Amino acid sequence: MKYLGYVLRNISRNPVRSLLTIGSISVSLFLMMIMLSFLSVNSEVSDSLKGSNRIIAMSSQGFAAQVPIRFVDEVGSMEGVTAASPLSWYGGKYQEQEMPFAQFGIYPEKIFDIWDELTIPEDQKKAFIDDPAGCVIGFKMAEERNIKIGDPMPLKGTIYPFDLNLTVRGIYKSPPDRDGRMCIFNWRFLEEGLKKDFQGRQAGNAGTVFLKIKSGTDPAQVCQKIDASTINSDTPTRTQTEDAFVAQFAELWGDMRLMISAVGLAVVVSLIFVSGNAMAMAMRERTTEIAILKAIGFTNGKVLGMVLSEAVFVSTIGGMIGALGCKLLFDVFDISPYTAGALPFFFIPTKTALLGFGTSILIGFLSGLLPAFAAARLGVIQGLRKVV
Amino acid sequence: MSAPLAIQIHNVTKEYKRNGQAIPVLSGLNLNVNQGEFLALMGPSGSGKTTLLNLIAGLDWATAGDVIVDGLNISGLREKELTRWRADHIGFIFQMYNLIPVMTAQENVELPLLLQPVTRNERRRRAATALKIVGLEGREDHYPRQLSGGQEQRVAIARAIVTDPALIVADEPTGDLDRTSAEEILGLLETLHRDLEKTIVMVTHDPQAASKASRLLRLDKGQLVGDETQAEARNRMGVS
Amino acid sequence: MVPIKYNTRNLWVRRGTTLMTVAGTALIVWSSCILFSMVEGLQQSLDVSGDPLDLIILRKGSTNETDGGFELDKADTMVTLKGVATDPKLGPLVSRELLNIPVMERANGSRTNLIIRGLDPVGRLLRRDFQIVAGRDLELGKGEAIVSERLAGRFKNSNLGDTLKVGEKESYRVVGLFRAGGGSAESEIWVDRKDLERNLSREGSVSSVQIRAAGPTDFESIKTVITDDAQYRLLALGEREYYAKQTQSTTFLKVFGFVIAVFLTIGAMFAAANTMFGAVASRTREIGTMRALGFSKSSILFCFLGESVILCSIGGIVGLLATLPLQALSFGTVNSNTFTEITVNFAFGPLVMIVAFSMTLAMGVLGGFLPAWKATDKDIIASLREL
Repeated sequence: MKYLGYVLRNISRNPVRSLLTIGSISVSLFLMMIMLSFLSVNSEVSDSLKGSNRIIAMSSQGFAAQVPIRFVDEVGSMEGVTAASPLSWYGGKYQEQEMPFAQFGIYPEKIFDIWDELTIPEDQKKAFIDDPAGCVIGFKMAEERNIKIGDPMPLKGTIYPFDLNLTVRGIYKSPPDRDGRMCIFNWRFLEEGLKKDFQGRQAGNAGTVFLKIKSGTDPAQVCQKIDASTINSDTPTRTQTEDAFVAQFAELWGDMRLMISAVGLAVVVSLIFVSGNAMAMAMRERTTEIAILKAIGFTNGKVLGMVLSEAVFVSTIGGMIGALGCKLLFDVFDISPYTAGALPFFFIPTKTALLGFGTSILIGFLSGLLPAFAAARLGVIQGLRKVV
Repeated sequence: MSAPLAIQIHNVTKEYKRNGQAIPVLSGLNLNVNQGEFLALMGPSGSGKTTLLNLIAGLDWATAGDVIVDGLNISGLREKELTRWRADHIGFIFQMYNLIPVMTAQENVELPLLLQPVTRNERRRRAATALKIVGLEGREDHYPRQLSGGQEQRVAIARAIVTDPALIVADEPTGDLDRTSAEEILGLLETLHRDLEKTIVMVTHDPQAASKASRLLRLDKGQLVGDETQAEARNRMGVS
Repeated sequence: MVPIKYNTRNLWVRRGTTLMTVAGTALIVWSSCILFSMVEGLQQSLDVSGDPLDLIILRKGSTNETDGGFELDKADTMVTLKGVATDPKLGPLVSRELLNIPVMERANGSRTNLIIRGLDPVGRLLRRDFQIVAGRDLELGKGEAIVSERLAGRFKNSNLGDTLKVGEKESYRVVGLFRAGGGSAESEIWVDRKDLERNLSREGSVSSVQIRAAGPTDFESIKTVITDDAQYRLLALGEREYYAKQTQSTTFLKVFGFVIAVFLTIGAMFAAANTMFGAVASRTREIGTMRALGFSKSSILFCFLGESVILCSIGGIVGLLATLPLQALSFGTVNSNTFTEITVNFAFGPLVMIVAFSMTLAMGVLGGFLPAWKATDKDIIASLREL
């Protein structure tokens, strides 16, 4: 600790170089945080859903295939299941914007028992249940688009031929790691419309089925039971816990995840070169000085330690600005509205930020190693004589 | 005086500003130098001799007064014009040689010619001639670190004369050399003066170097305190 | 002007520093090139056909083939439409197509949605440069499949000779591998439409129809009939137009890639600046000498700017060359329009070249400018005294 003053003075003696190194590290780590968070947000959300006591049944043939609506009532009455609702992706256009937010047909009387982290005032919930053409929207979307209760919510179908002319009956609040920009409406309203105007074409489709199970029940067992009951029907299902369901979206990304990780790694290695170079330049300038330190009795170990701590100090500052600063920035500033619906929510998970911060310390250590050993091995006589 | 004037210094004052205070280095200096003279500027540290050399060489501006070199008042030139003027009129010799380490002897000598409208072949030829004059034939492809101090300084002299400048300025040209090398360098300067009739202004501490000059100037505290020919100096010192 | 060899030799003399900086910038350029060749490859992989006379018929209101379909009866009558191009052997170029999108397991164990397309034989003529590269084409009604060469092996049991199991009752024998001009078909598995219809119990419906018009006026008239005629009332899109829509989703990725490249360039710019500041500082006396000899401020500026650009260019070239081994690789990711697997080949085309070139130039010029400026701004007399 008593050498901290000397280390600090060495850092500030060529402030341009130190600042450029810090700048390089912080900019690159900032970027790495964003890239890695694309990958980790999903698993973070998936982790937070463990123990949510929710399971989802979809067709074993994927999203495009049907899960018939009767299935909702069948599994809803199974033992251990406390609530069941269809979750049917509508994917409509709003004011000529293609799929600007998620739209789901659900059972209004069930959905808030299932999604219990979403909160809605009791009177709004009742109004939603009572109005077949009602809908509830997320608070973020209500704020951003300045939509109030009682406003119309017209959606033009793309998957379904029936357009939905809905009225906003309620606004739900959600925690930051849940989509705060959904629009949910009564599934039966879509169904009636399809039956009335389109001879029932595409009707009867529950999309996926969301289930709440009694706490203490083994979700895996319920999943197995459900799949076993449909295996010989026309529409076999694939049932999984909500966290596994969310995790599968990350799986879709496939090799892209590997690519992003590779780029992240390349950035880290690049930073080791960059800050190692800066450190080596600093050492070359100070050759005589290091020789003097040794001449007056500093051991090789002490010199090594001082050079290493200088490198670690500089890159740690870069890590603080880049990694932790990135987390703070995205905690305050929400980019989701600017991604045209590609990211319903985005944040830097604490784990990822800490990983970035830790990486900066590692970069400092690795980049300091070579210059530090060179300084430690420097001969006193040779160093005193060397003219840079 | 029959020969045209190479340098006229008119009432030149030079001050440096430090912490808002003006520190005078030269005050009201007057000096005429004829073409073909070999001038030695002597004096203790801080006497202003290097400052005077810098003014003559167009590296710096006088605070007041006129510096006229080869008929042109260079005090009135702007930075850009002065830079161009130096390239055309001045040859530099420094104490630390100041060769470019990554260039060979030949390339170092060619360097000032890059600023002149000459062809590549002409450049080669002239640089080779200059190296021959300083006695470094066969060393064209050596890098500065492969040469001794004396040889480096000879390359620097070749670089100074390659553009055939009106005036050669030398700042302690022997200051970093051993006795023998210094002698060789001084001999070269003498040759330039005698055979090529170059005007040379040299700052030096070294009486041995000063003894090769045709005229000796002494400065002290920014004033000219002595101005005599070599012959007068010898008489005064009582040496033949 | 100061000769270039002054710069190159100095870079060589300080080769340790040069090497570190080159390594740093090369990695940055390399990773940006990878990102952009992914985006470019993705774009090519979304390409449908590219023939300006091709039409894709969808249900009105839907945006792509996976959004459900329409009645087979309607599709059947399209063969009789006026102005449809005809093949001497296979007849009218009208291909009725049905999609199944099951969840399939990749060779590495992860799962995703894969398009299995049932189509008429004539559909092959509606894809750019369709050809069988191994095995043979499938025979109708025999439960056979052909797999894109790129995709084969990336999914379990998708190689030539394997039996691809899709569902409890659905499986196909892989009898051939095909190419289709690098377009979207190369992310798919093809089977006989009737086989698929039967397996899915979806007799009587299609997901889409693909048609080639005989000429530009026919193209327009077919479009009008299918859109307005009471017996159809479907959506007819030129495939070019459809393709443009599909690739809209890559805009986000492009912007994302662009932001990444800009950030990386700034980081590398700082690194280049650091190296160049070091170079300028250690050559102060040389700079003073050249200025004394009559080299102008601007020639010193360009000298160091040039050195910075050379330095970064080496990094840029190394980074670009390091992408060569990836040229042959293909990878799988998600098509965000349909949530289905898309197989992408890295495409090191003009976009990547432009990215690498402009990043290098930005690093060199912007990173080198301040140090070079500092070099010109040095006091000649003071720098000559410097050790």
